[in-house]
Amino acid sequence: MSTAVIRANRRKLVILAVLVLLCAAGYMLVDVRFSNPKLFSYAMRLRAPKLLVMLITAFAIGGASIVFQTIINNTIVTPCLLGMNSLYTLIHTAVVFFFGSGSLIAVSANLSFAVDVVLMGIVATVLYSWIFKKTKHNVLYVLLVGTVLTSFFGSIQSTLTRVMDPNEYDSLLNSLVASFSNVNSEIILFSLILLAGVIFALRKELALLDVLTLGKHQAINLGVDYDRCIRKLLLGVTLCIAVATAMVGPISFLGLIIANLSRQLLRTFRHSQLILGSALFGMVVLIGGQLIVEHVYSYAVPVSVFITVGGGVYFLYLLLTRKKV
Amino acid sequence: MQIQKLTKQYDGKTVVDGVSFAIPKGKVISLIGPNGAGKSTVMGMISRLIAQDSGLVDFEGRDIGKWKSKELAKRLAILTQSNNIQMKLTVEELVTFGRFPYSGNRITAQDREIIDRAIRYMELEPFRDRFIDELSGGQRQRAMIAMVIAQDTEYVLLDEPTNNLDIYHATNLMKTVRKLCDELGKTVILVLHEINYAAFYSDYICAFKDGKIAKFGTVEEVMTKENLSKIYQVDFEILNIAGKPLSVYY
Repeated sequence: MSTAVIRANRRKLVILAVLVLLCAAGYMLVDVRFSNPKLFSYAMRLRAPKLLVMLITAFAIGGASIVFQTIINNTIVTPCLLGMNSLYTLIHTAVVFFFGSGSLIAVSANLSFAVDVVLMGIVATVLYSWIFKKTKHNVLYVLLVGTVLTSFFGSIQSTLTRVMDPNEYDSLLNSLVASFSNVNSEIILFSLILLAGVIFALRKELALLDVLTLGKHQAINLGVDYDRCIRKLLLGVTLCIAVATAMVGPISFLGLIIANLSRQLLRTFRHSQLILGSALFGMVVLIGGQLIVEHVYSYAVPVSVFITVGGGVYFLYLLLTRKKV
Repeated sequence: MQIQKLTKQYDGKTVVDGVSFAIPKGKVISLIGPNGAGKSTVMGMISRLIAQDSGLVDFEGRDIGKWKSKELAKRLAILTQSNNIQMKLTVEELVTFGRFPYSGNRITAQDREIIDRAIRYMELEPFRDRFIDELSGGQRQRAMIAMVIAQDTEYVLLDEPTNNLDIYHATNLMKTVRKLCDELGKTVILVLHEINYAAFYSDYICAFKDGKIAKFGTVEEVMTKENLSKIYQVDFEILNIAGKPLSVYY
């Protein structure tokens, strides 16, 4: 049966991939005037980076969420629910605050992103692995601490912006409120390299994800160097979230939705399939959502609103229908 | 396997206090004792799941902490009490994980054979495609043990394997433990609460009290009225049934 499941899942993934292609084609081509080559190339220049950003974001959040859920051995927790993207926003604000918006670090998008990523990698990995250890991987505690941290980071960040010079704040706001309608496309290349680097550096740990599913004791029993492996994976998750947040701003529930949809659809423990499924779902949600937002609501409602509302309801549904947390 | 002066403290409270003993090879050894006597902690330390504060676990002539985790996984298997598997996993897939230390994610034909044998051994063929979370407690426990069998290690450590099992399943499990030792030649170390299971199915008993070894020896040596009364602080009678010293407490 298990080979039949694998095959059935492959079919589902192909269908998802076709959906992604349809959405992407729709996003690129709807309302484009082919007759005028100038207008056509203008539309392409406008849309192509956005599409690319959405693809990268979906992959980063989808992969990070699945990996994170396996690390903590629970499927209703995602990195964003624990405040990772608030932490990123805080770090970004703090960097501009302390170095000033005119400094080289803040002016160059890539350099400021690099500084953010390094800080985020260090702070988040230390902080979250400490929390996991301290709470002994108790999910309810972790969730509680995460919720507190989210508002804690948010408060510090808003305090910083309040005492900031208004001009500094103005320039900060530009990079802070990245959204799907205003993507930060300057860092696409950097992000791609970073993600590829993360995957390459973690290739051994990623292969251990299936075993980690069995929990800490069984993973150790089967010969996994557990603590080291978890630390490295956590760093990878952190970097993925940094990439996603830097490009499109915080979207809290996206990871939760797509990771769980992928789990429900594929019903497997195989992470190669789960991650792919999660990423593909993310692409469908983001690109399809953006398509609707741009052409049906003509930008009146940003796609993140739909994701937050839908995700909130879905989160409640997951909490209420599960027998145990 | 030699254990020397193992000590472990939690929050300043000594749970295991200078425990030393040698584990005889190819036998069934049961660790018994009242709640909080430290038997599960000792089990955790000899299986590298818990780090000791001081002392040494000498496994095949080398400190257990110095073994490569992957090498150790081919020699020693441990099954703990908490096994909440959240993922959709079938019995067969679970048992397949037992081969992970050998083949990683690439299962060979020989692995397949060993997996099939483990499933047959635990009489799990009717369930092999069922999801773990849809099984009863006894079936799940059997599936976990099948995985340990597939891991094919010399040493098998089971932490309270009869917990949450009814008499039928618990007894069957103990018979399997005996078979693992007699037929497959494994050294099995168990933590048990039921003294009579320990008395009936093991070769040696190590009784713990207050983090120390109260008595270690063959079943006959440990299962005496005086020993048990002292360890558990209740009155005991020892009856000889089927050639084994079984206890009645009241």
